[in-house]
Amino acid sequence: MGMVQLSGVRKFYGALEVIKGIDLTVEPGELVVFVGPSGCGKSTLLRMIAGLEDVDYGRVEIASKDVTEAPPAQRGVAMVFQNYALYPHMTAFDNLAYGLRRAGLARNAVDKRVQETAALLQISDLLKRKPKAMSGGQRQRVAIGRAIVRKPEVFLFDEPLSNLDAALRVEMRSQIARLHQELAATMIFVTHDQVEAMTLADRIVVLNAGRVEQIGTPREVYHSPANLFVAGFIGSPAMNLLPATLGPSGVALVSGPVLGGHSGTGEAVTLGVRPDRLTLTSPESAHLSGEAKLIEHLGDETILHLALADGGALTIKLAGDVALTIGARVHARIDMVGASLFGADGRAMRLEGARETEA
Amino acid sequence: MSRQRKATPSARIGMLTYHALMLAISAVFLLPFYWMTISAFKTNAEIFSNPVTWLPDPIRWENMTSLLTREDFPFVQQFVNSVFYAGTVAVLVCLSCSLAAYSFGCLRWRGRNLVFGLTVCALLMPTIVTFLPIYLAWSKIGLTGTYWPLITPFLFGDAFFIFMLRQFFMGVPRELLDAARLDGASEFRIWWQIVMPQLRTPLIIVGLFATVYTWNEFFLPLIYLQDREAFPLSVGLFTFQSQRAVEWSVSMMGAFLTALPMVALFLLTQRLFQRGLSSTGLK
Repeated sequence: MGMVQLSGVRKFYGALEVIKGIDLTVEPGELVVFVGPSGCGKSTLLRMIAGLEDVDYGRVEIASKDVTEAPPAQRGVAMVFQNYALYPHMTAFDNLAYGLRRAGLARNAVDKRVQETAALLQISDLLKRKPKAMSGGQRQRVAIGRAIVRKPEVFLFDEPLSNLDAALRVEMRSQIARLHQELAATMIFVTHDQVEAMTLADRIVVLNAGRVEQIGTPREVYHSPANLFVAGFIGSPAMNLLPATLGPSGVALVSGPVLGGHSGTGEAVTLGVRPDRLTLTSPESAHLSGEAKLIEHLGDETILHLALADGGALTIKLAGDVALTIGARVHARIDMVGASLFGADGRAMRLEGARETEA
Repeated sequence: MSRQRKATPSARIGMLTYHALMLAISAVFLLPFYWMTISAFKTNAEIFSNPVTWLPDPIRWENMTSLLTREDFPFVQQFVNSVFYAGTVAVLVCLSCSLAAYSFGCLRWRGRNLVFGLTVCALLMPTIVTFLPIYLAWSKIGLTGTYWPLITPFLFGDAFFIFMLRQFFMGVPRELLDAARLDGASEFRIWWQIVMPQLRTPLIIVGLFATVYTWNEFFLPLIYLQDREAFPLSVGLFTFQSQRAVEWSVSMMGAFLTALPMVALFLLTQRLFQRGLSSTGLK
C-alpha cells in the first residue's frame, strides 16, 4: 500500500489561493481524515491528490512516485464520491468492470476480480442491477466496490456517507473501518462530520481556509488542540472559550475567579474548557454563574446553555437527565484537568502544571 | 372544506372570451393546412367551385397516383433525397454538436466562455450574409450540384443546437466524469460511453429539430442543386408549382405528402418537442 506525500502544495482559482502550501505525509496503511468547515479546501486537496484538479505549485508523490503531472488513472488511486457517481446506464457488474476493462485486463480476469470484490462487500446479488434499482446504501457499497476492485495504492473518500440516513451511515462507517483493517489500505477520507473523523481516523488533518491547522491522532486533536480554531471546531458541543488574563497567581477569568497552577505576567489569554469539564456546584465554590437559556435533554446526558453575566455564553454537558428549568440560576465549577490555554495569537500554550492540579 | 368554488359570471365570460380568441388564432394557422389537405383530394374544378365545399366528395385518390407517376415531378426520388438530406444532417448534428457541447458544458479550459460566446454570435449571422463566399468556395472545388455543400457544414456543428445541447451537458454530474477519468477513460470515451447514454432524450430532441429544419430547408438546396432528380421535396415542390401553376390538385397532393411525414413525426414526439422548446427558452 502506498504512501502519499504532499510538499508545498498550492492551488489557485484565478487570483484566489484556495490551498495555501500544504505539507503532509500519509503513511502506508494509514487512514487519514481531512476535516474542516465548508469551503476550507478539504475536497479540493483530495481532488488534487486524485489528479482531478491541477496542482499549481508543489509536488504530489504516491508510492514514492512523483505524480504531480500524472493523469488520474495513472496515479494508483481510486475514489468514492458523495453522490456515488455510478454510471446510471450500466449494471453494477459493468460499473465495477469499467475501470478494469480500460486497464486492458482480460475478460476472465475482470470477471474474477469483480466476483471477488462483490463477495467481499456482499453485493453479489446486486451485480445485474442498475443503480436506479438499488437503495442508497447498496449504491454506496457498489461505489466502494468500484474503488476496491482496481486494487489501488490509495483510496480516496469524498464525504461518502453524507447522503445516507443516520442508521445507514453508522453501518457504512463500520464497514469502511472493517475494510481498512482487512485491506490494510492507505485511505484518505474527507468529511465535515466530526464523529466520522474521530471514529475512523488514525490521524486527523484539520483544515481551515486552505491551511492545515493541526495534524494528530483523534485524541491529540481533541485533548490538545493546537489553536483556537481547532479547539472551537473539534468536539460537539464545542469547547467553551473564556477570555482571561494569565497573572502571577494563575488564570484570572474576566468574571473574577482565579484558577491557579500556572503563572504569567498579565497577558491576555483564552481558557478552553470542554463542556464535560464543568460541574454544577454551590454559589460559594462556583467559578462561573449564569442563567439557563436552553436545556437539551438527550436522555443519557443533559446539555445546558448558559448566558453569563458578562455577556458570554457557556455550555455544560452533564451526565444523566438533570432536572432544571429555563431561566434557573446555575453555578459551575471548572475542572482544569484537560483545560487548554491559548495565547493572544490563538496558539495553544503549554499547561503541563494545570493538567494535574486544580485550584 | 372540499366545496368547489363556483366561477363568477365575469370569470366565465373571461374564460369564454379567452377560448374563443384561442380558437380564432388556431384557425388562422390551421385553415391553410386544412385547405391544402382537402384540395389534395379534389379536382381543379372542385377546388375553385363556388360555393366552397369543405369536404372532398368524392375523395380523389387518383391525385396521388397521378403525382407518383408523373415524369416531370420525380416525387418519390425527391422524397428519398429529402429523407437522406434530413436524416444525414440530423445524425451529423447530434454527433458534432454534442462533441462541442461536451467541451463547452463538461470541460474546463481557458477561454471557454469567450469561444462559446462567439459560437452563439454565429446564431445572429444570417445565412444570406455568408452564403456568397461559401458558394464561391464550393464552386471552386467543383462540388456544387451535389449534397456535399449542404451536409458537410454540419460536421462542424450548428450554433443553435450546440447552445441547446450545452444546457443538458452542464447538467451531467461532474463526479460522473471524474469517476470515468479515474477509471482511465479518455475524454472522447467519456463523451461517447458515459455522457451520451445519459442524454438520449435531448439528443433525440435535437435530432427531431434538425430533421424538421432540414426537411423544410429551401434556400440552400435551391442555390446549390441544379438537377431536378437531385432536389429535395422543398425545392422540387416549388419548382413544380412554378412550372405547372394550373395543376393545383396535384400540387396540393405533393404539398400534403411533403408535410405529412413531419406532421406525423410531430404528433408522435410532441412531448419531446415541447421539452426541447422549453429547454431553450423558446417557449
